[in-house]
Amino acid sequence: MMRHFGPLEAWFIITAVRWTLLLSAIAFIGGGLGGLLVALARTTAQRWLRTLAGGYIQIFQGTPLLMQLFLVFFGGNLIGSGLDPLTAAAVALTLNAAAFLGEIWRGCIQAIPPGQWEAATAIGLRPLQRMRHVILPQAGKIAIAPTVGFLVLLLKSTSLASIIGFVEITRAGQIINNVTFQPFPVFGLVAVIYFLLCWPLSFLSQRLERRFGTVSR
Amino acid sequence: MSTMKLPRRPLAALGLTGLAAAALAGSAKPAEAQSVDDMLNKKKVSIGILIDLPPFGVVNAKNEYEGYDVDVAKLLAKYLGVTLDLVPVTGPNRIPYLLTNKVDVLVATFGITPERARQVQFSIPYSSIDILLVAPRQRKIANAAELKPLRVGVARASTQDTAITGAAPQGTRIMRFDDDATTAQALLSGQIDAIGVNNITLKQLQAMNPSAQYEPKFALRHQPNGITLRRGATDLHQWVNTFIYFITNNGELNAVHQKWFGGPLPQLPVF
Repeated sequence: MMRHFGPLEAWFIITAVRWTLLLSAIAFIGGGLGGLLVALARTTAQRWLRTLAGGYIQIFQGTPLLMQLFLVFFGGNLIGSGLDPLTAAAVALTLNAAAFLGEIWRGCIQAIPPGQWEAATAIGLRPLQRMRHVILPQAGKIAIAPTVGFLVLLLKSTSLASIIGFVEITRAGQIINNVTFQPFPVFGLVAVIYFLLCWPLSFLSQRLERRFGTVSR
Repeated sequence: MSTMKLPRRPLAALGLTGLAAAALAGSAKPAEAQSVDDMLNKKKVSIGILIDLPPFGVVNAKNEYEGYDVDVAKLLAKYLGVTLDLVPVTGPNRIPYLLTNKVDVLVATFGITPERARQVQFSIPYSSIDILLVAPRQRKIANAAELKPLRVGVARASTQDTAITGAAPQGTRIMRFDDDATTAQALLSGQIDAIGVNNITLKQLQAMNPSAQYEPKFALRHQPNGITLRRGATDLHQWVNTFIYFITNNGELNAVHQKWFGGPLPQLPVF
């Protein structure tokens, strides 16, 4: 009955990487789009929009991601519409990432010196043009490092989806560990895979930072 | 219950508790009781199984689910005359899966206890396991009262958790891990002194480290397991009991037991 940790077992974990990657990709794209909206809403002149976005951020930053995963996955069924584990995990991670990225990017937008805003207004740019042509390009450079940092965090956060039964690499590792009882090779492999996924991201971040330089104040 | 709690995922425990509370409070849509007709109409039965508890449910080398529970689930679908949808669940999340209608029934080595029966409904037993307190040979433990100075590990939300929590004296350090494999590792690495496990995991423990001479010190509980349904599903419950009665009598359940445990089906109590 006991299985030895061999190539087949390792392959089971390795093939689960696609689910980790898929989940990360959905969460990052969805979270990026949502985060942009949240960041813009947080920096707009409209007071009600700022309050709304602020409340959203508070809710998602103030509750654990694990709870959010639970509520989306099991709560969805209680109010009538069931989500499969992938959809539920993608929705929860997207909502969570939008809140965090929104707040990170708000900081980057507000880090642009007032002189830039005033100069853009002075040359007659409308608010959207000012944002698009003057503020966001500069804020984007500041945003690279914290954004990639968050992306790495997000990729590792997908392991929490194992709790709702979604089989990504951490859950695959748990399943194999329970038939082999060999946690060190199993979770060692899982850790190595996470490193191989995250390290290129950090490397990319350093390259991008070097390429764009930092904004001079 | 003033025991020390050290779950690996305290937030998950919190989530489960919160969710169970929400489900019990009836603040949301109640779990739907299902009937035999519902199953026949949708021509499918979703069955929750554990895939991390050998030999009841595991993933085999071809990445398929197999084990005692899987075979019972297949028989259940066969006699119901519908297709089978196996849904992997974990020990801690199986009640939420059932109560939120994500599965129709659980064939998940679920020990029958009155506490659990407040939330879910059990069939008559279809399997049984023995829950034992296990420690290395040189550690003398005669009874539960002697556990007090020790660190005792259990898989969280399992029957051994309930049994140890009930039997150990106040002040015992009970350490709760995610599953049996993780708890076993804590015993192997000396982070716990004794472990509450079932008789099947004990064999694995002994095979992993023969020199420690792990041995059962005393039995905590003999656990008959039932197929689990949502409360109020009287019609389906009656069918499931009929099914277990039938496969017990015609030898099919015995054949499943022979296949996975290499011995005849023990006498199972009925109620």
